[in-house]
Amino acid sequence: MSIGKGILEIKNLSKSFIVDNNPLQVLNDINITIPPGNFVSIIGSSGCGKTTLLRIVLGLETNYEGDALIDGEQIEGPGINRGIVFQDHRLLPWLTVGENVAFGLDGKSRKETEVIVDEHLKLVGLNGFKSAYPCQLSGGMAQRAAIARALANKPEILLLDEPLGSLDAMTRMHMQKELERIWLFEKITMILVTHDVEEAIYLGDKVVIMSSRPGVIKKIIDIPFTRPRDRSSYEFMQIKSEILEEFHLGVEHPFIYSI
Amino acid sequence: MLVSITLPVLLILFWQLITSTGYVSPHILPLPKNVIKIFLSLFSEERLMLHIVISLRRVMSGFLIGIAAGFSFGLLIGLSRTGEKIFAPFFHALRQVPMIGWIPLIVMWFGMSELPRILVIAISAFYPMALNTFTGVRNVPSEYIELASVYGYKRLKLIRRVIIPAALPSIITGITLSLGMSWVILVAAELLIETPVGIGRLISNGRETCNMEQVLVGIITVALLGFIMTMMIEKLAKVVERGRSIHQEL
Repeated sequence: MSIGKGILEIKNLSKSFIVDNNPLQVLNDINITIPPGNFVSIIGSSGCGKTTLLRIVLGLETNYEGDALIDGEQIEGPGINRGIVFQDHRLLPWLTVGENVAFGLDGKSRKETEVIVDEHLKLVGLNGFKSAYPCQLSGGMAQRAAIARALANKPEILLLDEPLGSLDAMTRMHMQKELERIWLFEKITMILVTHDVEEAIYLGDKVVIMSSRPGVIKKIIDIPFTRPRDRSSYEFMQIKSEILEEFHLGVEHPFIYSI
Repeated sequence: MLVSITLPVLLILFWQLITSTGYVSPHILPLPKNVIKIFLSLFSEERLMLHIVISLRRVMSGFLIGIAAGFSFGLLIGLSRTGEKIFAPFFHALRQVPMIGWIPLIVMWFGMSELPRILVIAISAFYPMALNTFTGVRNVPSEYIELASVYGYKRLKLIRRVIIPAALPSIITGITLSLGMSWVILVAAELLIETPVGIGRLISNGRETCNMEQVLVGIITVALLGFIMTMMIEKLAKVVERGRSIHQEL
């Protein structure tokens, strides 16, 4: 992969849906540029249009105003330069894990497919599960398989739509480390939509805060920490409370009077 | 296996009990041993085998034509909203008409031949297959279709690789129901579209000569053949559904 591929530019992007014959503004004047190889977390309350934003980047929503460019080209539909991991693993139950990982591979010989599948199962730590069926996997393992499937096409940009949202807290923390490891290995752009402030800070080079109705970017915060990050460090906590403030969830320190 | 056998065994014992004690007249319900005797004599004369072979051929031809047509039609109205709008009302109206009602008309058109017998079975097998294929196709989760479109699946590939496999449990239900329907209609078709051979004929001969043993031989033969074929389809279903039947987690 050549360095410098996978730059995402979003300029003056707006999107509205028609609900009961009235236009409903979902995204309003979104501007963001994501350089290749960056990890960007998008966080916002529900209804802020983050999923719509991902769908536009993915090419599933094509009717929008403004520009959504990848490497300078307008996004006009789905393409293999973008991959996605959904909140539900969305593995097809009638295919084995290996066949699921190969789902998006097209025009490859049987041998090439085998190699790519093995390589990616190993990357996500699922070697040995190639011929298992999705219903035999735990939630975390299923999500690993979904990540392998999304990466098998060698996308320049990987979109993650709350991929760890349905996992239990411990598995989730473990998978965050795994995602970081995979990102460091693949060196591709990753865009993570999440509800989890800690997850957003732990993984993101930048955290984009969106607010809802209509969805706008409220603030973009750079996360300067080196990796791996310490969730309990003072700086981490500082940024966490700064973000929580944005959602009016900060702790109100009572005044203490003493004489 | 042993549990499944309990009910038939109890039923036969009960049958034996009420007939051998004379509680029920042998004219109404013959003794089990007499039924077995008729069964064996019919079998040794090779007449039973002939009835079975002819009836099996009718059922299989009608059933296969019916499910092939039902599958294609169900897929068409499942995939296309316009197709559904055009054909569905007509389909739902027609499927309410009992097959027996059509027989006079079909006989008028095709005469008393093998074709109308098979046609009647095929039409009966068509409805459940079409309906279940349609439902299966419509209930494919939109998430799967979205996933396929992310990977640029074109229509044909989408149908082959996603929609049909996802609809498979429903399609198999359709096949099973169609098979049952084929056997049900077989007997009616053989009774109403006169034929010298077939299990239906065997039953109606038995009725005309007041030979209840022979009627029971016919009924039991249909039940057994239907049961064996359903079993075979269930085996087939297990093979094609592979992973979906496994539920334990590792």
